[in-house]
Amino acid sequence: MKTALAPARREQAASHFRAIGIPTRRVEEWKYSDLAKALGDTAFSQDTARWKLGKLPAGVEMFDLAEANAPDWVRTHLGSLKETALSAASLAYADGGVALRVTGAVETPLEIEFSGKGNLRALVVLEKNSALTLVEKANGDDQRNVGVEILLGANARLHHVRIARANAAVHIEEVAMTLARDAIYNAHYASFGATLSRLELDIALEGQGAQAHLSGVSVLSGEAHADITTRISHAVGNTQSTQLFKKVAGGKSRAVYQGKVTVAQGADGSDSRQTAKALLLGDRAEADLKPELEIFADDVKCAHGAAVGDLDADSLFYLRARGIPESDARDLLIHAFLEDAMAGIVRSDLRDQVRAAVNEALAS
Amino acid sequence: MLEIKNLHVSIGGKEILKGLNLSITAGQVHAIMGPNGSGKSTLSYVLAGRAGYDITQGSITYNGEDLGALPPEARAAKGVFLAMQYPVEIPGVTTMMFLKSALNAQRRARGESELDAIGVLKTVRRKAAALNVSEEMLKRALNVGFSGGEKKRLEILQMSLFEPKLAILDETDSGLDIDALKLVAEGVNALRDPARAMLVITHYQRLLDYIVPDRIHVLAGGRIVAEGGKELALELEAKGYDQIVKDAA
Repeated sequence: MKTALAPARREQAASHFRAIGIPTRRVEEWKYSDLAKALGDTAFSQDTARWKLGKLPAGVEMFDLAEANAPDWVRTHLGSLKETALSAASLAYADGGVALRVTGAVETPLEIEFSGKGNLRALVVLEKNSALTLVEKANGDDQRNVGVEILLGANARLHHVRIARANAAVHIEEVAMTLARDAIYNAHYASFGATLSRLELDIALEGQGAQAHLSGVSVLSGEAHADITTRISHAVGNTQSTQLFKKVAGGKSRAVYQGKVTVAQGADGSDSRQTAKALLLGDRAEADLKPELEIFADDVKCAHGAAVGDLDADSLFYLRARGIPESDARDLLIHAFLEDAMAGIVRSDLRDQVRAAVNEALAS
Repeated sequence: MLEIKNLHVSIGGKEILKGLNLSITAGQVHAIMGPNGSGKSTLSYVLAGRAGYDITQGSITYNGEDLGALPPEARAAKGVFLAMQYPVEIPGVTTMMFLKSALNAQRRARGESELDAIGVLKTVRRKAAALNVSEEMLKRALNVGFSGGEKKRLEILQMSLFEPKLAILDETDSGLDIDALKLVAEGVNALRDPARAMLVITHYQRLLDYIVPDRIHVLAGGRIVAEGGKELALELEAKGYDQIVKDAA
């Protein structure tokens, strides 16, 4: 990142990472995801991972972080949001990445794909009153650490759909985000696991009326692992967050959801709901669901719940008694279990894409 | 059509049915009446093939075949239908999609051709109208947010759609007000057919005012303790179960 990041900032990020290193399971937030073991006790490769963009719609400006002459908006925002040890590592060691700036209400979805090994950075800036639909694909059997920053200006709308699929890979994506007044982030994350896959989101609702609506499905088999960790902070009042995650784990797979919602002092009128449910289809499958709430304000509506279980015996019998063979009845109930989490995907074409990926994962 | 001989059924090692005998021929409507805990629901579940209901002695023969040996889906395909006391709610599956899946699964199992979406839709709409099942209900997730009456009407709609040979109605009257009960009973009566047998399981005589049975069996303590014509229901209503059970002993 030749010009996008000041050398002093880069060195600061490097020392942040060096001070903490690759998190071990002794760190509470990494209790269910053994990154050190998955990486074989080495850090991520010094390579820079690859990114690819679909056709750039009108109203979206792009800057390649490997290029010289970074524009002001890149230099202002890159590395400006909250960082973890791992996002500090991608800031310090990635030599490239992509920055996007949206200035209008863009209708056509923009596709972005991450692949290859090493570190990578992405920056997404939505100026006030702008809108974008971002479709993210995370593929490839590599060890990759992607750091993403997303800034939503006043009344901006970001619709984000992420489909992550890999096998023998370690995929980390650390997303930091801020939302200004009345900005809305609506996201769906479909994850099909890897040796270790983790999507970590730190979302700050910093303007009155800001909303974050997250949903996700996970279909895991074999020894796949998929971790979604979210931290949502209601920094001011009249902010909303909803989370609905559904996970189906078979074989010896492991599904992890950790969600922490913090409502700051004085953030009255905040409304937060989080639900995580897992269906275990294998005797050795595991789900770790941990919703958490920390409330410092008085007048708030907050609810959270988590449940891990098997298919409902009454439902299974009902369907079979109507002539539907057992394996079809099980499939139907598994699809039904996942369906309400997918229903939140705003665009029907993207909802169909996620459904197709889910169907493929369930059929394999 | 249905011949139950000396049927003993246990759930988790506890014997619920203790030597039940029952025989129903095509075209007849039989009623099973009995107090709570007598084994009525156990009988309906064991006929439909629910897991965990172990037949420890005796036999259930359906059209000459050992029904107890078949999984629930095979029984459904062969024409056994149980209208359930508590129809389950399944979020994420629309009622229409469920009806189509079930109908075609039964047809496939019988070696019949599957119906296309339009064909199913037409048939369902026609039958739904008669039972006051709205188009909107068919679009909603199966039984989710349905009232008690709507759930029971949907059960009868399924019975009308699947055209079973043996229909078992388990406490179809429970939770219904009188208007809903009449509507459901009319639906059931419309399905009376010389080729179809029905077994109506109920706690109360009220339902039998509307679905008049050919024969009534009183179930108590896991056995049939009294049998008679439709007038037996009135006697039960007047005397109560305790007296009838005592008289029979």
